[in-house]
Amino acid sequence: MSDTPHQVLEAHDVSKSVDGPEGRLQILDRVGLRVAAGESFAIVGASGSGKTTLLGLLAGLDTPSSGTIRLAGHALDTLGEEARADLRRRLVGFVFQSFHLLPALSAEENVMLPLELEGDAQARAKAREALDAVGLAARRRHYPAQLSGGEQQRVAIARAFVHGPRLLFADEPTGNLDQRTGHHIADLLFALNRDHRTTLVLVTHDAQLAARCQRRIELEEGRVATGLGA
Amino acid sequence: MKLLRIALRNLRREWRLPELRTLAGSLLLAVLALGVVATLATRVERGILASAAELIGGDIGVSAPQAVPAAFADQARRDGLALSHDAGFPSVAFAHDRSQLLDVQATDGAYPLRGKLVLADAQGRQRNGHGPAAGTAYLDHRALVSLSLKVGDTLQLGGKELRIAAELVQQPDGGALVALAPRALMSLADAEQAGLLGVGSRARYRLLLAGAPEAVQRWRSWAQQQTLPQGVELLTPEQTQERMRTAFDRAGAFLHLTALLAALLAGVAIALSAQRYARRKTPEVALLRALGTPRRRVLGLLLLTLAALALPVALAGALLALGAAQLAWQFASTLFGGVPTVLPLLPALIAAAMGVAVLAGFALPPLLRLAEVAPVAVFRESLARKPRRFDGLYLLPALVALALIWSQSGSLKLAGILAASLAGVALVAALLATLLLWLARRVAPGAHPALRLGLAALARRRGLSVVQATALSLGLAALLLLSVVAPALLDGWRRELPVDTPNWFALNLQDDQQPAFAQALARIGADQLNMMPLAVGKLTAINGQPIDSRHFADPRAKEWADRQLRLSWADALPPANRVIDGRWFDAHPAQAEVSVDRMWRDMFALKLGDTMSFDVGEGRVAATVTSFRQVDWTSFRVNFFLLLDPAHADALPHTWLASFHLPRGHARAMAQLSRDYPNLSLVDVDDLLDRIRQIVDRVGGAVRWILGFSLLAGALVLAASLAASAAERRHEAALLRTLGARRAQLRVAAACEFALLGLIAGLTAAFGAAVAGLWLGRTVFHIEGFLPPSWPLALGALGCAFVVMLLGLAGTRKVTRTSPMRLLREG
Repeated sequence: MSDTPHQVLEAHDVSKSVDGPEGRLQILDRVGLRVAAGESFAIVGASGSGKTTLLGLLAGLDTPSSGTIRLAGHALDTLGEEARADLRRRLVGFVFQSFHLLPALSAEENVMLPLELEGDAQARAKAREALDAVGLAARRRHYPAQLSGGEQQRVAIARAFVHGPRLLFADEPTGNLDQRTGHHIADLLFALNRDHRTTLVLVTHDAQLAARCQRRIELEEGRVATGLGA
Repeated sequence: MKLLRIALRNLRREWRLPELRTLAGSLLLAVLALGVVATLATRVERGILASAAELIGGDIGVSAPQAVPAAFADQARRDGLALSHDAGFPSVAFAHDRSQLLDVQATDGAYPLRGKLVLADAQGRQRNGHGPAAGTAYLDHRALVSLSLKVGDTLQLGGKELRIAAELVQQPDGGALVALAPRALMSLADAEQAGLLGVGSRARYRLLLAGAPEAVQRWRSWAQQQTLPQGVELLTPEQTQERMRTAFDRAGAFLHLTALLAALLAGVAIALSAQRYARRKTPEVALLRALGTPRRRVLGLLLLTLAALALPVALAGALLALGAAQLAWQFASTLFGGVPTVLPLLPALIAAAMGVAVLAGFALPPLLRLAEVAPVAVFRESLARKPRRFDGLYLLPALVALALIWSQSGSLKLAGILAASLAGVALVAALLATLLLWLARRVAPGAHPALRLGLAALARRRGLSVVQATALSLGLAALLLLSVVAPALLDGWRRELPVDTPNWFALNLQDDQQPAFAQALARIGADQLNMMPLAVGKLTAINGQPIDSRHFADPRAKEWADRQLRLSWADALPPANRVIDGRWFDAHPAQAEVSVDRMWRDMFALKLGDTMSFDVGEGRVAATVTSFRQVDWTSFRVNFFLLLDPAHADALPHTWLASFHLPRGHARAMAQLSRDYPNLSLVDVDDLLDRIRQIVDRVGGAVRWILGFSLLAGALVLAASLAASAAERRHEAALLRTLGARRAQLRVAAACEFALLGLIAGLTAAFGAAVAGLWLGRTVFHIEGFLPPSWPLALGALGCAFVVMLLGLAGTRKVTRTSPMRLLREG
């Protein structure tokens, strides 16, 4: 398959099955999709439909049982785990439902993490800028336990954007927040998506949030039910 | 009951948690280490007492300047004890035209109640026997030679004709260095009939008793409540075998030290595990509290769960300790002549109780605080409890540690040194760790990415890192103290008894015999010959005041005032002596001078410049006290309470006391020597030296065994500290992997983290072990010039860093393999 310059993420016939106590369990069944650079893309579906598994495969956190995934032109199935880790470090940012900040690190130190992995000497200065961008400059010395849920998610977003990734994966980014805070967080995500031309792939079961994305697919029992996918 | 059921159910469910298993393992180890040592120590103590009983010829006794008051014997009969009376006195024996002063012991037929009386017939055949029958006597070889007698002949003693029924070869209370005269045993009835024990005789009477330990103890308690008439004293096994005792006390201190440190390490592991357990239980407790469970009930549930875990484990530890102690006794019992003793159960049970105390002391603080978790913590864990500036509850482990150190060391001095050293190590480790972590934060930005991650990881878990470094330092200090310092201490002690330690003493050597005797010794291969003059005299006056025993308050002074003293003189200060006040003799002092042992100074309240007058045979000397000495009485050297200056003492009537080393296998040559010099008393202390060397060797072996417990405890500390941070590490690794960290990056980061942690711990521990070892060596074990070995300690510190790094890496291997998908699954 040749590179398509505008497609930053492509999946073809991606299936994932695992061995469970009651035999083989098919989680994803021949899923295909394409996401263009700078696009916002939503994966929706009920609990257990395979959304999170698909996100993990797209981000290179796991490998499919069959099918191919290309991320920024790299065929993930031909890369080993270490090479996929390199790719993630350079090109990908993550936002999780439970924020996943390290409790012993201050907000600023949490944001510094991806830069530290790169060995960036300007890590601290860049982290401050990123925190400033999400409106938390004043709270950079606070620890996660001292921040509200919304503030924690803003720190997580700053961490996701700080190293200028081409793709941002967000797993239920507003799932743990109240409606109003969730709305602010979504605004922030879309603003950054727009301003930095970062591709945004988000998993959600919130129809309103999904509706704000340029495109979306709905998963049902591991298959693409509706939407503009492949 | 319902609460107990819930607690048991909780325990069954939570048993799979690593922290509970570490907790149980640590408790088991603490009880095992304490139990084995305590059981063995008690048994060895009984072994020593039993073999000491053989040396006095009974389990216990009374000694008196007149006939022993009848009340003592009456009470012994009521207690069901066996009795034996005897009396010792000097008396001149006559045979043909010869006479000889003998050290006579008049005994009844029951003597000895304990130990062996070995006799030989005319043909030299040996048998065990009892006190001589009326009309007969036993004489030792020297007495037979000096009176030209043989078994079957008769002699006159106290006006009575006695037939020599056997040669006295060995008696339980014989062979003491002080036996100056040849010995004879006669019947007590004969001695009484001959008037040898009448008023004015110089006899010392004894009542010896033996029986079941409880009956002996009953009699002993009764006797201790009696007001003893002047000069009457109890004879207890504890007073004898002082050197064996000193040797074992030192040895016991080593073993107790080893067990104690293992128990304290286990305590550290317990504390870390309990902390982790408490953290894990926080959401559950918050939920229970939110659902309306009263705090008291939560606390009860936690305590019952802990008790349900602790009691069976502590009992299992006690049983294992008994088994291990029984095994160890198979190797140790020969030291005490195979004297049978029963396996004591109490020490192992006490160890179990101590183990539970350690568990309570180290595990309770986090668990008690856990009960205070606020119900609101179900919403946010950071609200779990109110922050406290100072939590007094955390003094509990320190108090338990202090109590344990005190109870195990048996000496305030040892306890103080240990407690101060360990506290010092903990403090220095905590400070050093804090300082290095602060530096790490400063250095981190410019360092290699992997190293920076490692430093950042350490700095990130600052609190836990400091706790880990401190715990590891304590553990490593204990291990280094035991593995490097203890063997060096034992070696130092062994060096005090080199193979050429004098093992023979010859008493009663005359001036004119000296050169020939020295030549004879050289011919048979003896070396290390040292001769000291020995004069026997009496203290007659202090500062011109005649000595009257009634004027002294100190009972020891009363005793010495009436006794004959042994005096010697030397121009140089003898080894094992140290002048603590005043000055050693000049070459030619104008007036006679005397150097006095510290105990004598205290007994007679002497000061420098006082004058002491002595009668020595026909001679008389008044000497000025010019120095006081500290004498190491445990050294195997001839030592004296009183040393005179040679210039003025040479003229006093004296004999010589020779000490020398004779290699083994020269018994025949010594037998010839004793025939050539029949006036000499030759005393062989090889047996005693052997026993003490054996104790040192076996203690060395035992320390290595018990060191195994400490190593295990050290590993538990590391495991507990790793377990304490495992969940956090896994989460962190998953996050870093998601953000693109390579496995190698995570591994190098972990290696840097643990190597630095190990280095902090190793350096602090080496320093702490060196200081504690120096302190212990000099002040507790009295090993002169002891220096802790610096290279092994430095290597130990580096080795520690390396091992901690390897163990840390092994412990985090799983962590670096954590799948990044874990985060998505967790939400």
